[in-house]
Amino acid sequence: MIDERLYEEFRTIGRDIFVTGLTSSHGGNMSVRVGDKIIIKRRGAQFGRLKRSDFVETSFEGKDSGIVRASTELIVHRAIYEQTSALAIVHAHPRTAITLSLSRDEIIPIDNEGSYLLRKIPVISVEMASGSSEMATKISEALRGYKIVMQRGHGCFSTGQTLEEAYAWVSALEEVSDIILEHKLLGEPMIEYRKHSDAYARW
Amino acid sequence: MQGWAGKILDINLSDNSIETVPLDMEMARLFLGGRGLGARLLWDLVGPEVEPLSPENVLIFSTGPITASSSQTSNRFNVSTKSPLTDTILHANSGGWWGMQFKRTGYDVLIVRGKAETPVMIEITEDGVQIKDAQHLWGKSVFETTEALGQDRNKRNVMCIGPAGENLVRIAAIMNDKERALARGGGGAVMGSKNLKAIVVEGSEKNRPEDQDQFKFMLYETRKLLKASPLTSQALPEFGTAVVMNVVNEIGALPTRNFQQSQFEGADKISGEAITDEILVKNQACWACPITCTRISKTASGKEGEGPEFESAWAFGAQCGIDDLDAITEANFLCNDLGIDTISMGNTIGCAMELSECGYIESDLRFGQADKLLSLIHDTAYRQGIGHDLAEGSYRMADKYGAPELSMSVKKLEMPAYDPRGMQGQGLVYATGNRGACHETGNMLGPEVLALPRLIDRFATQGKAGIVSVHQDSAAVIDSLVFCKFANMAVSVEFFARTLSAVTGETFTEEDLMQAGERVWTLERLYNLREGFTKDDDTLPERLLHDPVQEGPSEGFTANLAPMIKEYYAFRGWDENGIPRPHKLRELGLDFAIEEAYD
Repeated sequence: MIDERLYEEFRTIGRDIFVTGLTSSHGGNMSVRVGDKIIIKRRGAQFGRLKRSDFVETSFEGKDSGIVRASTELIVHRAIYEQTSALAIVHAHPRTAITLSLSRDEIIPIDNEGSYLLRKIPVISVEMASGSSEMATKISEALRGYKIVMQRGHGCFSTGQTLEEAYAWVSALEEVSDIILEHKLLGEPMIEYRKHSDAYARW
Repeated sequence: MQGWAGKILDINLSDNSIETVPLDMEMARLFLGGRGLGARLLWDLVGPEVEPLSPENVLIFSTGPITASSSQTSNRFNVSTKSPLTDTILHANSGGWWGMQFKRTGYDVLIVRGKAETPVMIEITEDGVQIKDAQHLWGKSVFETTEALGQDRNKRNVMCIGPAGENLVRIAAIMNDKERALARGGGGAVMGSKNLKAIVVEGSEKNRPEDQDQFKFMLYETRKLLKASPLTSQALPEFGTAVVMNVVNEIGALPTRNFQQSQFEGADKISGEAITDEILVKNQACWACPITCTRISKTASGKEGEGPEFESAWAFGAQCGIDDLDAITEANFLCNDLGIDTISMGNTIGCAMELSECGYIESDLRFGQADKLLSLIHDTAYRQGIGHDLAEGSYRMADKYGAPELSMSVKKLEMPAYDPRGMQGQGLVYATGNRGACHETGNMLGPEVLALPRLIDRFATQGKAGIVSVHQDSAAVIDSLVFCKFANMAVSVEFFARTLSAVTGETFTEEDLMQAGERVWTLERLYNLREGFTKDDDTLPERLLHDPVQEGPSEGFTANLAPMIKEYYAFRGWDENGIPRPHKLRELGLDFAIEEAYD
């Protein structure tokens, strides 16, 4: 079901997500869409130590027995694939971004690279924090207009044409968040260097 | 106007009627403009009973909601018709100034129906719309016609056909602003079949964005992205589109001598670097474009003009085994002047060279004969001698001589400059192309070669269907708004959505546009199915499917199409025969097509 190239991509990106601290040992998940199938990480598989047996193939539209072993967030992944043109999804728990999400409705980068890449990351509140239809609806709707969104207090969902692209947005988000936090801790006023930066809030 | 002008100009040359009809705004929001709106209108106007070169075929010239807004690359426009080369739906688009100028006349779309008794031209100015006698222009070249009708860069713009269109050459282009082309699929022949020599436009209306602040912000952000991309800020301005010649050659994906090899030993001599070093006079831009990829070149004999683009340099170069840059450039100039698609012309000449070398046609034509190019192109435009065969395109020509397998085409449209054996995804793009083998409708050069947005394995097949589909849909969006594909090398559809929102004052997300792109793609598919095309037409020439590349970085590879096609149909929500399922059509708002699609 999964060729060597795709397996290698899952394995190396999973390892990188774990070792760069973007999720805990078993948290988060990722998937790709191939034809009319979704290939998703098995529930409870270790991000940094993925094996061939750690992937589940399930149909894009109808339900099948694949859901027994699939990630808890399969419902969210499926909704995202239905609502967007995404071909890959990464869900991770970047800790600084989660910290910021506790006190703001959007994360607006202040560094140059983050402004260039992301401009704004919306933060979404969901009552049922994991695997709920409310979460699926809200997250997938937000991803129609953004590459990556934060679920308050939980983690991020990002999309791409490849796993690498989706991973890149997660990595960028955490860097953006680290810089915001460190600048806040520094306590010094920011010298604005970006023309039209006030427009990022309207992005 | 803010986005759409809200008007269609509808002209029937059979009875000289001129009507202005309102644009259906619900239709416009669903299909955007340009190629999408063209496809939707063509669905209603031209059914399977219509012959492409009959008066019942129509030409639909369409702009998009961002056209003439001054957003970067907002100069382009589209023509839709039924192709006399492929018998499929045809869309072709072009840059320059004409599209912007037509929009300034206050129309979104021009429909031309019927056939004039004698040659005519259409003039659209502030004084109104007139059908004028053009018998004095019939027989004149594109350059002569453009000059005679008073082309004035951004004030008065001329679109016309040359002798190739008049002589119903199936690979004839429609030319605008002298040297820009609605090139592919034979639109020039359709215009010729209507006895329509030219369309001249002069306008003064403005496309003023509704949300000025947001529009200015998008201009600024887009400029930043175009500057930050080495492709749009350095490579294209410095070397033109042929900057990728050496890149594609190095990976073993540059078709050579009618796709017999995938690397050309003379690539360096016809590359973007060579063009800049040897023949470039200056670079030039279309209206509202900062990229300036157009080449103004001058050959040793003193001939000067636009080109060659990458595809043209490849078609008359590697495809024909020719590394004489001057000869290639002058072939390009002559095609522009006679109104011929350079890709199909060069590809078809390469096919004729192989037919001759293999003894299928009695001729001394051989690969590498640079001195033959100009006479072959001239004879094609006037349908003289072997040119009469070339004028039919490579498939009909090769079929006539008993070797259709030597036509490097899909659905009779000649393939461009990428060998699918070295770029598997590109093979899927060609095979499933709604207008035939076309790189512009989902080019995999970005992901498979240039790492845009990310580098993917060019030899892999699993997962390619999704990436191809996404690129096909986004290309349909760009062709419908209408932006330039080169801008998309640096600027994503997300930006186009926000620019469109600023221009129209209505909210469009990236995914709204991607769904519109899928809608356009699917309707084009339905059009072809209604014409009688089947899954069997989603294929590639036998050579690419069965003959492995003999040497170089792609050695041993064939185009592994079958698994990609299967995955592609599944991804798109089509059945195993490549027919979109009814629920998919409803999801896309194509309910109106269900009955005919399943007739």
